[in-house]
Amino acid sequence: MLRKEINDLLTLTGPGTPMGALFRQYWMPALLAEELPEDDCPPVRVKLLSERLIAFRDSQGRYGLIDEFCAHRGASLWFGRNEESGLRCPYHGWKYDVTGQCIEVPSEAENSSFCENVKLTAYPLVKIGDVLWTYMGDPATQPELPEFEFALVPPEHTYTSKRLQQCNWLQAFEGGIDSSHVTWLHSGGLKNDPLFKGAKGNEYNQKDTKPFFEVADCDGGLFVGARRNAEEGTYYWRITPWVMPAFTMVPPRGDHPIHGHFWIPIDDQNCWAYSFDYHPIRPLTDAERQAMIDGHGVHSRNIPGTYRPAANMDNDYLMDREAQKRGEDYSGIKGIAIQDASLQESMGPIVDRTKERLVPADSGIIKARQKLRKAVIALRDEGVTPPGVDPAHHRVRSAAVVLPQAEAFLDACRDDVRVRPGVPISSV
Amino acid sequence: MFMSECARAASAAESRFRIDRPIAPARAPRIIALDEGAAGVTRRVAAQHGWANARFFVCEGGSTGGLLLRDIDGLPTLLDDALARADAVFLVATEDSGARYARTIGRACFERGVMTAGFVLGDGYEADDAIAALRPHARVLLPTADESDVVEVLTALRA
Repeated sequence: MLRKEINDLLTLTGPGTPMGALFRQYWMPALLAEELPEDDCPPVRVKLLSERLIAFRDSQGRYGLIDEFCAHRGASLWFGRNEESGLRCPYHGWKYDVTGQCIEVPSEAENSSFCENVKLTAYPLVKIGDVLWTYMGDPATQPELPEFEFALVPPEHTYTSKRLQQCNWLQAFEGGIDSSHVTWLHSGGLKNDPLFKGAKGNEYNQKDTKPFFEVADCDGGLFVGARRNAEEGTYYWRITPWVMPAFTMVPPRGDHPIHGHFWIPIDDQNCWAYSFDYHPIRPLTDAERQAMIDGHGVHSRNIPGTYRPAANMDNDYLMDREAQKRGEDYSGIKGIAIQDASLQESMGPIVDRTKERLVPADSGIIKARQKLRKAVIALRDEGVTPPGVDPAHHRVRSAAVVLPQAEAFLDACRDDVRVRPGVPISSV
Repeated sequence: MFMSECARAASAAESRFRIDRPIAPARAPRIIALDEGAAGVTRRVAAQHGWANARFFVCEGGSTGGLLLRDIDGLPTLLDDALARADAVFLVATEDSGARYARTIGRACFERGVMTAGFVLGDGYEADDAIAALRPHARVLLPTADESDVVEVLTALRA
């Protein structure tokens, strides 16, 4: 249960809101690199943290993320012409570079300096891995670039997709650290999904449906350990890292690629789920990459030409009651990502957390909300930089291990949960 | 098909039609301090809020009738009596001296089907034995908790 004012504090991310200010401390995914595939390609509308922006790649390969609307009469620059190192509004020809600087106002005199005083709001846009990252905060406090492992491994080792989720970022994110739902909602995927099935760990998951949880602080956020019985005298641990504010990783299964998410607010009622898979020490196989493109694992099959899932609230997520009865898909919805989205969206655009009845197994969520609240208030009241800004906090991995019962998961797995280039993930 | 008969009813406008009834406190928890430091935390937490069904105790030691607890007002209570109507037990530790109590309480809760959770305050190293004793029984363990975690979890659970 959360009081309404705390729910508002954590869910509202527009300009001027405390949580919006928190998000503006971080580099975060703004769009996929594939959306701006070549110099002078069409610009892309981007809405982030309730701000309408336009992204483009100019003739010199530079990326820009600027106010969507022309400073002249407020026309959308999505209609603009991306040409000769700038984006030109087709209405009266005003032209902007990737920094938002107006570089041409055709109606002005030949040597006029008028356009020097016209500059649109602009944010840096940087390609790292498959993602274009932006920082929407104060330029004076711009942090070092992000160092998440999925974005730093060679391109053939990694794959990132994105999908629209029609609910507030917080309820989507909370699914990312809620390990207890996997045994139920995703039980079909453990048996059938090409990116999950076959791992020894799946057997522990399916045999022990009442996991125990340990929630431990770390510099960038939390580690949530879910423990199930394994062989005599041992436990199977699935360790989920959360890096504030919106990065989660799913514990791995066997030698399958490791995966995770970013949950990025579009506005208060919609978010982007960026979903990645990577393998730190080998390229993805053709079959793995194809499975990801086809929407298996944590990815989704989207409506062609969009990032909206083909199974969505307009078609009841293509519910299949027969598959539900057969146990093929526990909820009757196909695909891990859509199984999550269907339930999280059904809660409403911003779930009313004053009505919740949480249980102790939700302690990871409770602790995450507390850390977010404390960080938001510390930033708002004292200007304290929140956890997760420092790139050192990004160098974490999830892990799935079998340990003797007497061992504490974080003591035993200190190396397993940090990035070690060239070292395989710890997975069962 | 009516809007309310399909998944599109997840809109803010349709939320108005959700049944709105007062929610009763969900839990009747017992919060039990295992050591002296935890006793101080438990007293402060007990004093901070108007808790609904939560009851707070401190471990006193063994007696002929079983483990003896004292409630926040100093009244003695046997563990069996404290657990009689409980549906969740939260154990609080700051160091190792309460490890044996953790084992006793954990077993008693297991036998009664009572959900058990553990808070270990401080850096964890001073309470290794307490953590080890809690681990087999505590469905949820917060090994690096701070005092506000106790309040936070109890509040979230409508204690």
